Amino acid sequence: MAMDRQPAPRVSDPAELQRIARALRRDVINLVAPTGQGYVQQGLGAADLFATLYFGEMRLDPDDPEWPDRDRFLLSTAHNTAIFYATLAARGLVPQDAVKSYCLDGSPFEINASERVGTAVEATLGSLGQGLSVGIGMAVAARRRGSPTRVYVVLGDGELQEGQVWEAALYAAGQCLSNLCLIVDDNCMQVEGDIGKVVPVAPIDQKFRSFGWAAENVDGNDIPTLQAALARARLADRPTCLVARTVAGKGVPALEGLLAHNLKLPPDVARDALAALQDTENAA
Amino acid sequence: MKGSTDRNALEVQDFNARSAAAAGAAKHYGEALLDAAQRDPRIVCLTADLTLPTETDLFRDHLPDRFHQVGIAEANMVGIAGGLARSGEIPFVHSFCVFATRRCYDQIAMQVAYPRANVKIVGVIPGLTTLLGVSHQAIDDIALMRALPNMTVIEPSGPAQVRAAVAAIAAYDGPVYLRLKRADGSEGPADTAEDFSIGRMRILRNGTDGLLVACGMMVDVALRAADRLAGEGKSVGVVDMATIKPLDPALIELARAVPAVVTLENHSIIGGLGSAVAEMLLEHGIRAGFRRVGVRDCFAEGGSTPYLFETYGLTEGAVVDAFHQASRQSPA
Repeated sequence: MAMDRQPAPRVSDPAELQRIARALRRDVINLVAPTGQGYVQQGLGAADLFATLYFGEMRLDPDDPEWPDRDRFLLSTAHNTAIFYATLAARGLVPQDAVKSYCLDGSPFEINASERVGTAVEATLGSLGQGLSVGIGMAVAARRRGSPTRVYVVLGDGELQEGQVWEAALYAAGQCLSNLCLIVDDNCMQVEGDIGKVVPVAPIDQKFRSFGWAAENVDGNDIPTLQAALARARLADRPTCLVARTVAGKGVPALEGLLAHNLKLPPDVARDALAALQDTENAA
Repeated sequence: MKGSTDRNALEVQDFNARSAAAAGAAKHYGEALLDAAQRDPRIVCLTADLTLPTETDLFRDHLPDRFHQVGIAEANMVGIAGGLARSGEIPFVHSFCVFATRRCYDQIAMQVAYPRANVKIVGVIPGLTTLLGVSHQAIDDIALMRALPNMTVIEPSGPAQVRAAVAAIAAYDGPVYLRLKRADGSEGPADTAEDFSIGRMRILRNGTDGLLVACGMMVDVALRAADRLAGEGKSVGVVDMATIKPLDPALIELARAVPAVVTLENHSIIGGLGSAVAEMLLEHGIRAGFRRVGVRDCFAEGGSTPYLFETYGLTEGAVVDAFHQASRQSPA
């Protein structure tokens, strides 16, 4: 019976997840440093979220990436790939060595994640606003076949400016898709800068609540808080939206809080960033 | 109750009845879809507030667990279909041709065409077949869908072919755009085809003086035009090109044998069947005279189908004229 099958072991100790997140931050810098390309600020900001989801929350099996009852993860923005690929590699869902071709010509590890990577990239997104709809399709299909699969979709906060997100939000609530968890990576940043100065999207939680979702604001850089919120989402009778406030550049004092969507990482800054992250590791 | 009006006696029509030349035809598409779905449990049905007009009420009533009403939200519908297909289901998504394609083009490109998702996009109200007006007229849907890699584009010519096409696309693993004119009882003599193979044209008539290549409703027009030309002593062949992409390469040799080729489509002359035929013939060195009959790069307005076809040159007279023009171009 497929339902009896267990996923690969998960980490519940927050200290261990924090250690993993620190390692992922170093991986982000190492992936971006060779070319300066890739999304550094967003990757550093979302490291705690990725560590918690991939190592603590989601039911996966690196030995069988296509396990039908696995949880699904969709990165709707698709561009926050330094942290995404670093996490997939650390979790054993893609080969460690392959990720090193990040951003190089011919590599499947493009800046915007595509299914060229394999099953770990469950859909090719990046044309903003589409991920929640695809996640709904997966959640509806999982419910129909009686699967315990849960679907996790990460949207950027700026992405909420896309109208399709709200078509999807209406539908998911109407269907009571309790196996769907949306996480808004609320880093306050879009291409043109501070979202509040472009087209404000706040208050996000209230918008989703008014659409019929369970919604709460969480500190996206606080792992125990994330763990607790994800646990509540599992018990909800409706879809959940976690508005996870993340700090761009988190963990590297020189970059922290800098709202730079397309930051190109200079080699000296990369070196300093790695040194700073190593200092943090040594102090931990 | 307001005044003396008996509200129970008022007729509530669906879009098809409003636009139809005749009324009360069978739901050929809806029955074929239900039949396919009863054979294959992977088939699911999505509609965007257009259940009756897309004949999916049959599916809804018989297979409610596999029927998804997504509301007026075509982009979301296509995204959901992508997620369903990635979970092993075969979604048939439904709307009017214009909204099933142009309204959600990027979603189709990214969630259906690029991943070769097993999603069938089904549109009704092709071209100039609605009273409603320009907002509901699809004159570029074939062009849009044809431009997408991995997409198959099919426009059947009549009810029997619709049934055969539904069975064929249900069995085919990949994205398809199916452009449908719902039957309204006015169907003409073209509808004899119970056989349909994706990518295979149907030669309805052979001729030595020219060739008419048509799809959808224009196949009937082509047959009538060929009759008129026969009255003038011209022997003109007629091809039903129900699959516009991939275009049947057998057309090349057929066209090589005649001095004039005319294409017919209830669609813009840009990017549709005429363009596809021109591209194929030119790239294979066919030097026949050539004309396209279709909507000549303009928007139309609401009206009855006969009125619109007359106004925008989708008539047998226009085809006869186009044939003569093409014949005069012929290097032979």
